[in-house]
Amino acid sequence: MSGGVNGQGTGEPALARALAELADTGPTPFELKVLRYVGIPEDRYDTYVRVEAPAGGLYVAQSGPVVTGAVLAAVVGTAREFEERHLAATGRSAVPGTATAPGVRPAVRTGRARQLRIDLAGVGLTDAESAVLDAVRSIPYGQLRPTSWVVREAGLQGAAVPDAEPPDAEPPGGALQDGVPRGRTAQMAAALARNPIQLLIPCHRVTDDEGVPHDAAYGGAVGAALREAEGISPERVRALVRTHTVFLGSDTTHIYCHPLCAHARRITPRHQVPFRSARDARRAGYRPCRSCRPLAA
Amino acid sequence: MHNRNPRIPRNWRSVNGVHWVKDEMSERLTEHLARDLDGGFSELVRIHGSAVRTYLYRVTGSAAEADDLGQETFLRAYKALRDYTPGRRRELRPRAWLLSIATNVWRNDIRSKVRRPVSAACVEDYSDRWADTGPGPEEWASRIAEREMLGAALGKLPERSRTAVVMRHVLGMSYAEVAEVQGCPVGTVKAQVSRGLLALRELLGPEAAHLREVRT
Repeated sequence: MSGGVNGQGTGEPALARALAELADTGPTPFELKVLRYVGIPEDRYDTYVRVEAPAGGLYVAQSGPVVTGAVLAAVVGTAREFEERHLAATGRSAVPGTATAPGVRPAVRTGRARQLRIDLAGVGLTDAESAVLDAVRSIPYGQLRPTSWVVREAGLQGAAVPDAEPPDAEPPGGALQDGVPRGRTAQMAAALARNPIQLLIPCHRVTDDEGVPHDAAYGGAVGAALREAEGISPERVRALVRTHTVFLGSDTTHIYCHPLCAHARRITPRHQVPFRSARDARRAGYRPCRSCRPLAA
Repeated sequence: MHNRNPRIPRNWRSVNGVHWVKDEMSERLTEHLARDLDGGFSELVRIHGSAVRTYLYRVTGSAAEADDLGQETFLRAYKALRDYTPGRRRELRPRAWLLSIATNVWRNDIRSKVRRPVSAACVEDYSDRWADTGPGPEEWASRIAEREMLGAALGKLPERSRTAVVMRHVLGMSYAEVAEVQGCPVGTVKAQVSRGLLALRELLGPEAAHLREVRT
């Protein structure tokens, strides 16, 4: 027999190595059995399950029927790393569970997770960060939204702040400059990078105001895979950025949309009118779409 | 010097094989236990559950028994912790403490049942259930055969050698930590482990030549 434990060239005793391989180092269902047997109240720990998602596995932690955390396997690698990260983020221990919270698997499969019950209370987000993540949840499947849209939907558009103000000087939930939210952009990027429930809070659907995806939480390759699974090809995203198509109007209806809005997708090529800004569209006599809301319509 | 199993988190390290230095992860855990028993206990189970279960699995040779005895071990641990002061919980060395309890639970179980350990022929093996990439089917089969053979051989070792070999080589603990669990000097543990490895080589016989040839 030529097993994988010959120890050639390593100088390490083969028997010692074979013995080390007898260890069950990964998490097992045993932990949950113990916690139940001992009678630890169920609200004192979370359970988690790995579900298959478009860009590889997704570890989803839950407390009862409520999702408390989700991290892509592309980010954490192993279940142990996920556990550590969950503990650091929420202060709660997560042990492998047997079932997902209701609705998790359909949400992962269909990419539609707006109705899913999630709880961000343990994560220690600022009000502004929570509002941003709530707004991101409302971005429809298969569509993209720019930062300024998210800021507006989050209700963070308030009194103007000077251009020069550094991002970290802004109080959370405070003021925002109208139009191009420079300080906000950095703050938003931070909120997106911290996204405690990846994929289910679809931060892969957020771009900057030029249309370039953020992908702050997991990098461009994973983000591209997640978008591709929703029918948003990288070529399409690049083409929109290259042609500065921030909005797309129809010269038959004189309505303009975000370019991936379901209504914009129905505009036949010869009636498509690209716009760089809402102002350009308004000047051309177009009104904003009421379903994708390029401006508060 | 043996390599320790790099996949198992080390909570303790020994300096010159004797002195204990508590590391960050272990300190976080005992601090958590001192502050909040139920939350800290969940963390104790999360971090050390697999070590306790592996230990019991490899000394009993039965996954079902390892589950039962492991649950009993943690129940005893919980009852003990409930009566400890926060100061005492903070002083704990969790893994060695849990394995001492597990050893007692196992010995009591043997005493009450008075029977030989079950062979490792039909065991449920949790390892690699989370692995994303594995070896090909052929290598897999040979590895499973090897694991079974080794598991069965472990079950034939005398108690003291078996527990020492499992802690030292399966769990990758230091001699000093094993000595704490066994309640004996480090030198005694070294002797137990080395006798255990010798006996294992004898038991494995000629089919496992590649395991026998290499000296420790």
